[in-house]
Amino acid sequence: MILAVCGKGGVGKTTVSAIGAKALAASGVKALIVDADPAAGLAMALGIEPKRTLNDVRKAIIEEVKAGRRDERDLAVSVDYLVAEALTERDNLAFLSIGRPEDVGCYCKVNVILKDAIEMLGGMFGATLIDAEAGIEQVNRKVMGAVDYVLLVSDTSAKAVRVAETIRDVSGRMIPDAGAGLLVNRVREPAEADRVESNTSLEVIGRVPEDDTVREFDAGQKSFFDLPECPASIAVEGTLTAAGFLS
Amino acid sequence: MGLFDEQITAVRRFIDEAEDAGRLRRLDSPAAEPWPSGSVLVLEEDTALELGNPSVGSLSMLVWAAEGEARDGAVSLVGPDLAEASGAGLPFAQVVIAAGDFPNEYDSYRDLRDAVYDTRLKGLSVRAMPSKQVLWCRVSRQAADAGFSIGHLGAALLESLRDVPGVTAAEALFITSSQEDISRLSGAAAGARRLVDAMMKMYQENNFDCETCEYQDVCETVMDLKQIRKKLTDGKAVPG
Ligand SMILES: Nc1ncnc2c1ncn2[C@@H]1O[C@H](COP(=O)(O)OP(=O)(O)O)[C@@H](O)[C@H]1O
Ligand SMILES: [Mg+2]
Repeated sequence: MILAVCGKGGVGKTTVSAIGAKALAASGVKALIVDADPAAGLAMALGIEPKRTLNDVRKAIIEEVKAGRRDERDLAVSVDYLVAEALTERDNLAFLSIGRPEDVGCYCKVNVILKDAIEMLGGMFGATLIDAEAGIEQVNRKVMGAVDYVLLVSDTSAKAVRVAETIRDVSGRMIPDAGAGLLVNRVREPAEADRVESNTSLEVIGRVPEDDTVREFDAGQKSFFDLPECPASIAVEGTLTAAGFLS
Repeated sequence: MGLFDEQITAVRRFIDEAEDAGRLRRLDSPAAEPWPSGSVLVLEEDTALELGNPSVGSLSMLVWAAEGEARDGAVSLVGPDLAEASGAGLPFAQVVIAAGDFPNEYDSYRDLRDAVYDTRLKGLSVRAMPSKQVLWCRVSRQAADAGFSIGHLGAALLESLRDVPGVTAAEALFITSSQEDISRLSGAAAGARRLVDAMMKMYQENNFDCETCEYQDVCETVMDLKQIRKKLTDGKAVPG
């Protein structure tokens, strides 16, 4: 199953993804974790330093094309090699960073090959979790149209919920078969979450409380792999279970 | 004159020298049971042995020749077999020679290459970077425990090559001894790649402006490439 975590900037996507990654590590399922944030926020939250990014792979393949090597099978095989090199592994998890996309002209064929490679890669893992930073359009273009579930994240602000609704509309058109649900993050009072729930058409599948432990880990730049059980982690794991992603 | 005569000569010389030095092992007799095919993802934590990590040496080479040029079924090894590896990684070279009748070099190359790429063996993940002639494999703990060996890999490769139309014989050489041994074939591998690149360019681009072509040197000196070019230009001259 491929789950993409989407939502407005700053609502807690990376936090949710990092907690999800930790839960996957504990579950023993072979999982692929994709950091689609150019600023590599998830890598940082997990204390991972990727040596190469998917964008480096893209650049290397474009070099191959420029050097006149256009045979598609050779290129596809090379992408698999380079992507494998770009994976950072830790126990049962493999981590892939998308990197900062650079405008190096239109290489549609390269993007198609890349997308196929990621889809193939995803298919080899029991679970794929994507911290989809900017939103669903990026997930589609750069990673895959094969997302099974869009986990929308918002805080309790009306603006963040509206962004989640927009993403739901876009993703509903692009990947109509995918499931979707809203995680309301940083809930201080149950009434705040009630208000969000009664003001949106989205299905709310989880409420995650404001949590000092999370803030502390973030401020101290500690790896979320070491996050102790806390109210936020329990709620995130419950939400991912409700989404059918964790069992 | 075959397309890869020079490269095959280099491989033969390597094999002969290794044999004279008592360093060559023949794993020809097919493994008792063919290795089962299966999943190809091997994570680091499940890896017993890594072959051809770029940092320790890696080489992949595929050449073909006329009938009679390969010792059918021969699998040779210079260096330790997988069970004899002392660490978690080995340098790795895989050299494949296919022999037979290949009327269309381009199609044959693609078929042969697919046969080499597609040996999906259970517990072995194989990644290749054709332009750099490198091959990077992982052998899972399970496969290692179950006795997976170079002999199994060689047998599977040759089996899959024999299914390619035109192939009458196939042979493989593996090197796991050292980066230094592998580098003795790197010139030949690079030469083979250049010939393949030149050939692919001819077939894909149908552009015979030799003055500006980066493969002019090989194309002018290698008989087979000249013939391919002639065949393609003649074909183009046919009306319709
Ligand atoms: N449940 C929570 N409790 C406390 N702080 C949180 C919680 N979720 C997120 N944060 C904090 O909010 C900030 C933004 O979160 P982040 O996950 O980086 O958002 P995004 O990835 O959506 O931009 C971070 O400082 C993070 O520590
Ligand atoms: Mg983020």
